[in-house]
Amino acid sequence: MARTRPIMPAWFHRLGSPKGFYSMTTPWLPWLAAASLVLLIGGAVWGLGFAPADAKQGNSFRIIYIHVPSAFLALAGYYVMAVAGAIGLIWRMKLSFVAMKAAAPLGAALTLISLVTGALWGKPTWGTYWVWDARITSMLVLFFLYLGVIALHYAYTNGEAAGKAAAVLALVGTANIPIIYKSVDWWYTLHQPATIKLTEAPSMHPSMFQPLLVMIAGFYCLYALVLILNIRAEILHRERGSHWVVELARSRRS
Amino acid sequence: MHPIRRQRLIAVIFVVVLATVAVGLVTYALRQNINLFYTPSQITAGEAPEGTRIRVGGMVVPGSVQRVPGSLETLFTVTDGAGEVKIAYTGILPDLFAENEAAVATGMMREDGTFGASEVLAKHDENYMPPEVADAMEKAMDKAHEARQ
Amino acid sequence: MSAPDVVPTLATGRAFRALLVRDLTLAFRHRGEMANPLIFFVMVATLIPLGVTPESRQLAALAPGIIWVMALLASLLSAESLFLADYRDGTLEQLVLSPQPLWLMVLAKITVHWLVTGLPLTLLSPLLGIMLSLPAAGFGSLMVSLVLGTAALSMIGAIGAALTVAISRGGLLLSLIVMPLYMPVLIFGASAVQLAVDGMSPAGNLAVLGALLAFSCLLSPFATAGALRVSLHG
Repeated sequence: MARTRPIMPAWFHRLGSPKGFYSMTTPWLPWLAAASLVLLIGGAVWGLGFAPADAKQGNSFRIIYIHVPSAFLALAGYYVMAVAGAIGLIWRMKLSFVAMKAAAPLGAALTLISLVTGALWGKPTWGTYWVWDARITSMLVLFFLYLGVIALHYAYTNGEAAGKAAAVLALVGTANIPIIYKSVDWWYTLHQPATIKLTEAPSMHPSMFQPLLVMIAGFYCLYALVLILNIRAEILHRERGSHWVVELARSRRS
Repeated sequence: MHPIRRQRLIAVIFVVVLATVAVGLVTYALRQNINLFYTPSQITAGEAPEGTRIRVGGMVVPGSVQRVPGSLETLFTVTDGAGEVKIAYTGILPDLFAENEAAVATGMMREDGTFGASEVLAKHDENYMPPEVADAMEKAMDKAHEARQ
Repeated sequence: MSAPDVVPTLATGRAFRALLVRDLTLAFRHRGEMANPLIFFVMVATLIPLGVTPESRQLAALAPGIIWVMALLASLLSAESLFLADYRDGTLEQLVLSPQPLWLMVLAKITVHWLVTGLPLTLLSPLLGIMLSLPAAGFGSLMVSLVLGTAALSMIGAIGAALTVAISRGGLLLSLIVMPLYMPVLIFGASAVQLAVDGMSPAGNLAVLGALLAFSCLLSPFATAGALRVSLHG
């Protein structure tokens, strides 16, 4: 039980209670919304309008300003989901199961976006919409993994068991994520090696790279915003009978 | 031994043995050419098998692209700096296919030493750069060439 | 580990063996059920020439992939029954409550599942190879890859079976959640056979298949045990 462990700071417990989370995140929302709006609009205008066209690919390369951030978050989102599930299984924290449930459809949507934008980019670049390449295929598998977690969640009628079962599945699925990420190194394939390397300088020209960074930051803000909104909606749904939710609804109505 | 400890010992041995086996097998597999991808120098050295589908990748040699008149057949040569392979392909090449660019072809080695491709894909490198930079780099390369001569 | 005060009265190895023998006996008494995935395996092999082409050269090109996909589907079909009967008659509850380590008991059940589905599928696969005119060079690789691969499939399928055992009509859901996890096994299994057919060494692919088996052995008993606890007690 979380309460018997004084090692954890107070905010951890506050985050753990649905009501605490709800009241704690309310002031965050306008800031996150403003940040994601500014970053996304700024990054899109910069990347689509002002960044120079690529020497070989021309303007079609600009799709990476959507493709790369969504692929980034599709992968990171799986970890968010799996870590939330693991926290739920270990500390029996109900809120983390809520977070996991909220992260699943979001991650699935981002995976789909990165697959579709990748296909649209592949046509002018590689001459085909779809290639059964290691990384693309693993992205598709990632999409199926997300769908499995969502489907398993809905199949259980008992909410808590649903969270635990989906958490086990999500953790098993994480075994596939390193394979996805390393697949480019393992197979020499069509898909170019990762453009942004964490250890080396980016192999992209700064004038193209900077708007991409802005877009990635914007996607992260938007992801956080939508995730929190999703969690809040789920909290309200689960706690709809409790006193504070009824109070909240009453105060909104008046 | 206490039964509970015994159970834990079994679990630990189980995990350690299997992890070792998994790591050992992966290391062994990584040393094999698992995806049938061959470089032109491997092919000129005769390492590639004849009559089986393999993949060849390399830079398209400038000036080597010939289109056979009256058909869709194209002949070109790819190189990795050390070896060269002549590739024959019938069909429409992707837009990004160009001389001095990387291409990956899937097909079979023919008896006459050319590679009969059934599919050609252009593989662009991982460097994104604006045209001016590309031009500047090309000029710099040319200068370096002249300096050497 | 759930009840550290209770000392197991039965040695762990003995319990493992007892469960193995019990499940094997049960499977043998229900021979009809055991045969179903095998019949499925052979019947679908008959559909392929009817649906695609009876021309042997084209069949030969498709054979490694088709045999592997069908072995995968047959294994998937049988995975649902892994815990279902034990769940319905309460045996599963007894296993979970027993002081024996659940993961070892799960391992025994998975082993039996492989012995009654994966192994017969492997032994039957040369017949399918002949039906689909698989070139002679591929047979050895086909059997080795199926031995390793179906064992890995049983391991992975067990996780899905444990997660869906308490759900009514969980069969379709089981295939949905397990299939993505099956894919790496299929890729390396089918390409090992293809390599052998093409006259190349399948050793690298078989090694990866072995690594996948070892890795799934490592992960599956523990994940399945956890999933069974969730399924039974929420």
